Amino acid sequence: MYIAGMGIVFNRGRGLTNLEKALTQGWVKPNPVYRVPAEALADKQVLKEARRADNLSKMATLSAFDALADSGLPEKSKSNLGIILATAFGPHVTTFGFLDDILTYGDAQVSPTLFSHSVHNAAASYIALNLQTRGPTLTMTQFADSFQQAIILAESWLEEKRCEYILVGSVDQTGKVMEYICSQKLKLAQDGRIKPFSFSPNPAAVPGEGSAFFLVTNNAQYNKYCSISGLPAEDQEKDDLYILDSDGMCGDETLYKKLGQTNIPLVSYAPIFGSMLTLSSFSCMAAALMLKNQKTYASPIQDNPHNFNILTRHQTLAVHKIKCLRYNCYQEELAIRLKTE
Amino acid sequence: MPATDIAITGLGAISAAGNNTQETLANFSSGRRNGGPVTLFKTELNYPAFQVQNFSPLKPEAMRSLNLAFYAAEQAISDAGLENGFGSLRIGICLGTTVASQLNDTDFYRQYRQNQTAPMDSVERYLKSNLAYELAKFFKIRAQLCTTIVNACSSGTDAIGVGLSWLRNDYCDLVIAGGADELNRVPLDGFGCLSVVSKSLCAPFDRNRSGLNLGEGAGIVILEKTNLACKRGKTPALFLNGYGQAADAYHLTAPRPDGSGLKQALEQALKQAEIQPEDITFINAHGTATKDNDLVEGKTLAKVFGPQIKFLSTKGFTGHTLGAAGGLEAVFTCLGLRENWIPANAGFQELDPEIGIAPVNQITQIKGNYAVSTSLAFGGNNSALIFAKN
Repeated sequence: MYIAGMGIVFNRGRGLTNLEKALTQGWVKPNPVYRVPAEALADKQVLKEARRADNLSKMATLSAFDALADSGLPEKSKSNLGIILATAFGPHVTTFGFLDDILTYGDAQVSPTLFSHSVHNAAASYIALNLQTRGPTLTMTQFADSFQQAIILAESWLEEKRCEYILVGSVDQTGKVMEYICSQKLKLAQDGRIKPFSFSPNPAAVPGEGSAFFLVTNNAQYNKYCSISGLPAEDQEKDDLYILDSDGMCGDETLYKKLGQTNIPLVSYAPIFGSMLTLSSFSCMAAALMLKNQKTYASPIQDNPHNFNILTRHQTLAVHKIKCLRYNCYQEELAIRLKTE
Repeated sequence: MPATDIAITGLGAISAAGNNTQETLANFSSGRRNGGPVTLFKTELNYPAFQVQNFSPLKPEAMRSLNLAFYAAEQAISDAGLENGFGSLRIGICLGTTVASQLNDTDFYRQYRQNQTAPMDSVERYLKSNLAYELAKFFKIRAQLCTTIVNACSSGTDAIGVGLSWLRNDYCDLVIAGGADELNRVPLDGFGCLSVVSKSLCAPFDRNRSGLNLGEGAGIVILEKTNLACKRGKTPALFLNGYGQAADAYHLTAPRPDGSGLKQALEQALKQAEIQPEDITFINAHGTATKDNDLVEGKTLAKVFGPQIKFLSTKGFTGHTLGAAGGLEAVFTCLGLRENWIPANAGFQELDPEIGIAPVNQITQIKGNYAVSTSLAFGGNNSALIFAKN
């Protein structure tokens, strides 16, 4: 399937211009996590139907809106548009807000608004409401596999012609309780540096948040960036570049070493986006930009203790196939390939 | 003749209506309703609920939702004759839930709120409660595809629909699909504050209905390519023929009053099944017993299928089991087709003139090859599945 449009909200703001700027600028120190700035969510016009939404829903609504706008699809195409949203943890900030209500006021005096926003599919529903799309709308959660599974389902829906266009993307957020949990469950980078090429059994993470959406279709006429597809683990096709999601979120990263041994250039943009189980969607967006612009961006952090072939500078380069790779918490390989056509 | 490419070779169900399909049929037949006070957790609320009775978890340290899923899956796998393994079949697992996807442990959060620190036990349990992953691990299945659907109350129906897509696109050979959810304090409080929970046993589609009761359970089906099922000696009698899903794009908690989202989902499912509305012999409706849901759903069913359509809600026996509802009701729909009868719509007494059609109010014999199961959800999701028998 082809990528017809993209939209993103992340810690450096909203939109592809900010993404290109971030990829060019490289690493900046987190504060102390990579949080989406409030001004990136302050679009009253687009969020007119989502005034009461929480930040998770706002991030998703804005990035989905931008992906559709970026595609230039005619209005009538919306009648044939589906939505698939992947999230690892859903609206946990709102859920904890609801628990606050229960603990403070008791079972009978809780907020209905908080409750209705605490379900995982609230964000996708806001996207549908905001865009006035009536096609199939699905939210899925599979921790580190969430975005890969969403891509596979999008391919399946397009193949069976359940819809002609799909907004497929991810959203995840950080928050005080989640940051506490991360501090207990993960090794947090004290210097704020995710080191994606350390391939350590105990890698360091810096929590991040954001949303990345793609408008995908099998209609080649709308191919604006490249093709994208989920891959079986045994895939053997040769790629020009590997983008690694070694962000410290899934524990032991020693398995990534075998990718370095292939001598295919490696890069990771985890230090730009922060550590997220749905990081792959952001990596794929960077890949799509590179394929469109025929330009690669340097690894934002270049500590390279194993001396592998990593991208150390921005360059204009013929690049046609990029594989985005993640090993999940069960050490299973998850891969998505993006190709020029 | 129905399309027979995707068979249903196994059924498993656990709910307040029964801990397996036989018990469920017995309770459906006798009209027994196992609703009562909430005993699984402390609550200030005085709403009846439908709790699973006499249930021994297969993995006590895991979340209750997960254990309910294991229980139903074990039945379905056994019913499909696969208890000794899946051989070289490419397996997919797609399950729906709401509670198991949320980190909503009040004890953990109370401690965190008080001390800015809390033990990680409940977090560990949550991280080991992804239904699809954990089911694969528990049954030692190397799944090609593994996904948990979190589409609120239509999750179970959507999970089965996703399974159908995977099979029709040849992504796998067999899919374990359905949904599971436990009775939990958070949704009880949440639905309570929305003023949609009844203080008495629910009465779906009744003129005097006063809201839903929450329930819990799991419903799992084994979907399988028919040719491969036949190869291993099965003679399938039940099939999954269609799935439709559409968004209301209207409101986060209320259904679109004109029912057009549900109508679109039904039409899509009928189209995929290549049948007409008049081919449908009965409908297992979502029927939560809330004013809004039953009004919109009943009117839409009448519009699409005509006033003579036989329909019922089984939530009078199970309560609203949220992410499990679609899985359980898929199993119940298959049982209706297989057994040639459907139970009375428990709790129904009086026609609601606004709805204009009444559900079946007694055990009803069924003649026909096709049945529909519908789910409507928070966020305006509308989903429909079409089941068939030879």
